Amino acid sequence: MNPRVMLGVYKQYWRINILTTLEYRENFLIWLGFTVVYHGTALVALWIVLNRFPSMNGWTFRDMAFLYGLWMVAHALHNTLFSTVGDIPDHIRDGEFDRLLVRPLDTLFQAIATPGQVFPDELILGLLTFAVATWFSGVRVDATFVIFVPLIVVGGALIDLAFNLFISTVAFWFVRVDALRWIVIQLEQEFTRYPISIYSRGVRLLLTFVVPFAFMNYFPARYFLDKAHEGAMLPAYVGLYTPAIGVLAVALAYAFWRVGLNRYSGVGH
Amino acid sequence: MTALPAVQPRRFRLEPYLNFARTAMAREATYRFDVFTSIASVLVRVYLLRMVWIALYSRNAAPHDLPLHAIITYSTVALLMSLVMDIDQTRLLYEKLHDGSIATDFMKPISVPLYFFSDGTGEVLFHATLIVPSLVFALLIVHIDVPGPLVLAVFFVSFLLGYLVGFCINFIMNCIAFWTLEIHAARLIVTWVSDLFGGEIIPLVIFPAFLQKLAFALPFAAMFSTPLLIYVGVIKPDRYAEALGLQLLWALVLGTIATLAWRAGAKRVVVQGG
Repeated sequence: MNPRVMLGVYKQYWRINILTTLEYRENFLIWLGFTVVYHGTALVALWIVLNRFPSMNGWTFRDMAFLYGLWMVAHALHNTLFSTVGDIPDHIRDGEFDRLLVRPLDTLFQAIATPGQVFPDELILGLLTFAVATWFSGVRVDATFVIFVPLIVVGGALIDLAFNLFISTVAFWFVRVDALRWIVIQLEQEFTRYPISIYSRGVRLLLTFVVPFAFMNYFPARYFLDKAHEGAMLPAYVGLYTPAIGVLAVALAYAFWRVGLNRYSGVGH
Repeated sequence: MTALPAVQPRRFRLEPYLNFARTAMAREATYRFDVFTSIASVLVRVYLLRMVWIALYSRNAAPHDLPLHAIITYSTVALLMSLVMDIDQTRLLYEKLHDGSIATDFMKPISVPLYFFSDGTGEVLFHATLIVPSLVFALLIVHIDVPGPLVLAVFFVSFLLGYLVGFCINFIMNCIAFWTLEIHAARLIVTWVSDLFGGEIIPLVIFPAFLQKLAFALPFAAMFSTPLLIYVGVIKPDRYAEALGLQLLWALVLGTIATLAWRAGAKRVVVQGG
């Protein structure tokens, strides 16, 4: 496999995405409005609650804004680069996937580089939100922060990718995976909004070791906000493990993907 | 010369509409996996909100009119209501505008808006049956206060009025499809805003004063907040008339807007040649 060919294909993929976005400008603007309102209402809801009750297990609104910003930027990075992985079940269902199999390029790469209307607007918004939240929460921006935060964001995006890929792989066995995806998305989006110390032990363990979404934002935020005493299940420095957890999660999901791919023989078109 | 049958004065018959509703119920029942996810999703949120409120109440002073058990009751009942309220029961209108099949509906000897209303009602009635299993499982996670029969009766009346308000908002949103078919994002925006300002997630009485004023001035409060505040007893019996009256007013205002939007939209279909 030639990396230069892949790079060329990937460049074309982004060119088509951006041209499509420019072509359907109104559509883009209204989806941008949707993204703003979605994250805006989530933050306003947190603000309303923490305005009335000044702390949640010792977390103030400033801390929670940082927690949300960290999740948002990682999640947006995933959505920008890998949201197409979530379309694989659709490709399998309508038979389009079989075409990817016969082409002389890695199948997963082709699935990732299937053009749509992707635009890095959510990522830009996420970076802005995170920058404001960092300033607002008074987190010390030192060398550790500058080195680790980008790695943690990438690690968080990889955790997202691992679950996206895992669920899409399940589609090799069960063609309809919408319900499963829906439950995992909900677990991620709603449970990462609060410090996991508010949950019961079983749920904390689930979010740490089984579906490790707590590594996307909770553990890193606990580290940077100096809340070592918080949810004393694990030491504070595990907050810096996110990149490793992300790589491990993707490796596991990719191995599962290979198993599914080798087993796959079409849905009978 | 005999008169054409179509010219005869048309007598209103309820029967076809009952059948539309029955068909819609049967159609919804075929999506078994969706049923499972709806119930699972409600239960997950019941757990989440219970933990959130416990964490918030444990270290802060509680609002005197909304103690912990009342706010957990509020959230749980809100989630059970959402099984019915979050259904876009007039989505069929959008779909029919999208594929053009609305043209043939106009030729049928039926009232088209009533057809959408019966279809939507059938869909909603099916989802209403999911409240029972959801409630049973939710009771394993939380304890819910049950008010006296009078309060409960007023709550159901208020819930029904809230449903009508929600129906009109959905109908107006789907009518936008007469002008532009790209309504998906706009619909979602309205959903997020109405979830927040309708008091579905956070009771409006917890909002800071200026946002509370804004929220109570919007129609979304009539959907969730009013019935729920009646249920948990924040709205006392002496204010029932005022609360229900305001809901009724919103239902009438939005019903009028929906009617106007429908007429203007239907005319466009005819002008364009169906």
